[in-house]
Amino acid sequence: METEASIITSLPLGFPTCLFELKMHIYLKRQQMLFCCTTNTVEEPLDLIRLSLDERIYVKMRNDRELRGRLHAYDQHLNMILGDVEETVTTVEIDEETYEELYKSTKRNIPMLFVRGDGVVLVAPPLRVG
Amino acid sequence: MESAENQTPEPELVAGFSSIRERTIAENSLVILLQGLQGQVTTVDLRDESTARGHVVNVDAFMNIRLKKVLHRDRRGRLTQLEDLFVTGRNVRYVHIPDHMDIMETIQGQLAKSHRVRNFAGGRKEYAKKKS
Repeated sequence: METEASIITSLPLGFPTCLFELKMHIYLKRQQMLFCCTTNTVEEPLDLIRLSLDERIYVKMRNDRELRGRLHAYDQHLNMILGDVEETVTTVEIDEETYEELYKSTKRNIPMLFVRGDGVVLVAPPLRVG
Repeated sequence: MESAENQTPEPELVAGFSSIRERTIAENSLVILLQGLQGQVTTVDLRDESTARGHVVNVDAFMNIRLKKVLHRDRRGRLTQLEDLFVTGRNVRYVHIPDHMDIMETIQGQLAKSHRVRNFAGGRKEYAKKKS
């Protein structure tokens, strides 16, 4: 059984570290401080996301949505906190006469967004090509 | 819509949480940040593409959100004023975080609050698990 997980941070917290015997799966990066309690090596797929903390990422979501923003925090459910995020919603409209498909995308900007993990399909570095 | 995870509420053991189980779930995920939003005005984007803007009354470990004084905009853009709105956790897509909020401080504050209550509750042995 994993021993207790304490919140490791380089800043004094002012309250006793938690005494849970569970792994604290909240990863936050604020400037240079890492607020987590796991190893520094990449052990599981979620650790790959940890490498992208405080970086801009691309998130593909269900219902033809995409998000591009700066990853501030995530957890094991892939709930995420993204900053300076641009959401793109893509819709397909079928022209009645010609039956051709018209792909439309709607964008909007949100300064700070909490994303529920069950909508996330994939997480990647921002795509280079449009 | 009922979440399979909801259970009958147990007596209030710790501040804000119905059970130890709920508190454990919340403290090990980012829901703890949403709980720090209690009292603020935010916009919640729902899964059905409607939005609800109002005061956050309560958020539980399953992300069920209770809002008051809500302006609900459905997917067609029609506005409805609501005094009280309960959103099931499953139906939340996004929660807009107010600009002025400091995420780290909010989370630390929430954790400190539950730790304070824990220590206040007579040093119950079940909370203080020793290192093995």
